[in-house]
Amino acid sequence: MKKKVYSKLTIIIFLAPALIMLVAFILYPVCNTIYLSFNEWKGIYGSPVTFVGLKNYIDVLKSDSFWQSMLNSVFFMIGGFCILMPLSFGLALLITSKLRGTKFMKTAFFMPVMLSTTAVALIWVYLLNPSFGAVNQILNTAGLEGLAKDWLSTPGLNIWCVILVNEWMYAGYNMLIFAAGLVSIPSDVYEAAKLDGCTGIKQLRYISIPLSRESFKIFSVLCVTGCLKAFDLVWAMTKGGPNHTSEVPATLLYNEAFTFKYFGKSSSIGVLLLILGIILSVMLNNFFKKED
Amino acid sequence: MRRKVKRIIVYVFAAFWTVMTIFPLLLTLMNSLKDNAEITLGMLSFPTKLLWSNYLSAFSDAHILQAILNSLIFAVSSTVLTIFMGMLAAYILSRKKFIGRNIIYTAFLIGVMVPIHCTIIPISSMATAVHGKNESWFLILVYTAFALPQAIFLFTGYMDGVSKELDDAAKIDGCGEGRLLFNVLMPVCVPIISTEAILAFVAGYGELIFGMILMSDQDKYTIARAMLTFSGSYQISYGPIFACIILAVIPMVVLYLLFHEKVQEGMLTGAIKG
Repeated sequence: MKKKVYSKLTIIIFLAPALIMLVAFILYPVCNTIYLSFNEWKGIYGSPVTFVGLKNYIDVLKSDSFWQSMLNSVFFMIGGFCILMPLSFGLALLITSKLRGTKFMKTAFFMPVMLSTTAVALIWVYLLNPSFGAVNQILNTAGLEGLAKDWLSTPGLNIWCVILVNEWMYAGYNMLIFAAGLVSIPSDVYEAAKLDGCTGIKQLRYISIPLSRESFKIFSVLCVTGCLKAFDLVWAMTKGGPNHTSEVPATLLYNEAFTFKYFGKSSSIGVLLLILGIILSVMLNNFFKKED
Repeated sequence: MRRKVKRIIVYVFAAFWTVMTIFPLLLTLMNSLKDNAEITLGMLSFPTKLLWSNYLSAFSDAHILQAILNSLIFAVSSTVLTIFMGMLAAYILSRKKFIGRNIIYTAFLIGVMVPIHCTIIPISSMATAVHGKNESWFLILVYTAFALPQAIFLFTGYMDGVSKELDDAAKIDGCGEGRLLFNVLMPVCVPIISTEAILAFVAGYGELIFGMILMSDQDKYTIARAMLTFSGSYQISYGPIFACIILAVIPMVVLYLLFHEKVQEGMLTGAIKG
């Protein structure tokens, strides 16, 4: 009897710290955000909170900047699947090949993700600087003056610059995911295929890609959820501007709250993000389950 | 012939991406040693003479050492706390049967999925309510909270694979629960603990948004915030900014060069199982 009480006590004492952290900093804030999304609040601690129903949601869904930010998120995903995925798969093929120097390449390619997003962002902000940046300088010396631009201030172009920097940063990281899948393909599969005359592109088409399904699945989930959460890079490079053209939902949420003090509206963006994230995760899961 | 062309394409691709990854860092390093006149002429030229004073002004104007130290302290303390609390919880979730276990485990899983941006407003008001603004302990707790769910997930999974015979043997030797966990199980779990340590440390050191919301005193700035403020403030010379960036990435680059295999493996585990 005494032992049972003691055991229960251990369970409570050992679990309590982690549970308190979870409830205090994640679960309660999420509930509070949902609550705030139906209210108007100026964000000053202790100031009144007034219930406004669905008004925040209607405001958000009617605003152009929200749809611009959603469009930019879609661009992020397009960039992820059309640029990042082939690039990191290519790099994975490279470092798992029998070339010389693959170890060095692997170490070098992975480096950017370690640099912390803000540092990466600032490095590229200066490389893309219109007056002295290296990118324009290279274009000028190559005789392509016409292509030199003010990269981060040109609407329509700025978000793609951020996306390309994002791919630059995460190419090496995703390379590891694909490489892990590629090395797990048994080598006798390749040998058998070789006997049947399946080499080069064909080998890629019929063996490497289909047998890396699990890696593609992991990549897709990380890419979709990562794109919805994109904040650091956009904030550090453009702050969502100029004139909201490079805004993504997370930067919009931040700006609404901490720049314009519309805490209710900001919360409703947060709730929409949360719901969208859940829907997309479920959809992706179903998609991959159906294929199995 | 075709084989040769293919080999050339592969080598060109390899060389291209190697240059692509290293060149931006190298350029930043080069420009951190130039004076303003040289930088504004173009980033591509080599410095004519090495201007180390840029680093001095990064120390004195941007207080960059303070910021690096702050971020290191926040990252290390939250990593230690995460591992400690995570191991405690994982031990119970993996070893004990009790009512509500699955609910609690699912709650932690939900915690992995919640995007941090949905929590910034309540956490900011919470900080005001408990006088946690500009306080290191509050930021460390926030970092810990967001690293914990994944830690618990990884630890529980790993501990499930550790034989329970070890527990029984230790108990026969008169080991209490605490000693069993910290003296017997902890050494066995070192691989997954170091994985989580890397994930939590990297996340903590580079974190931006909570550092921005919760810390407004300059001597409490995280490195991300300090870099952004310094480069955003009206700056007449660019050299010190480049110096700041170089200084900021040094801890991570050193860590990576020392343990690159372990770091890669750790980040991969985090991606696949997170």
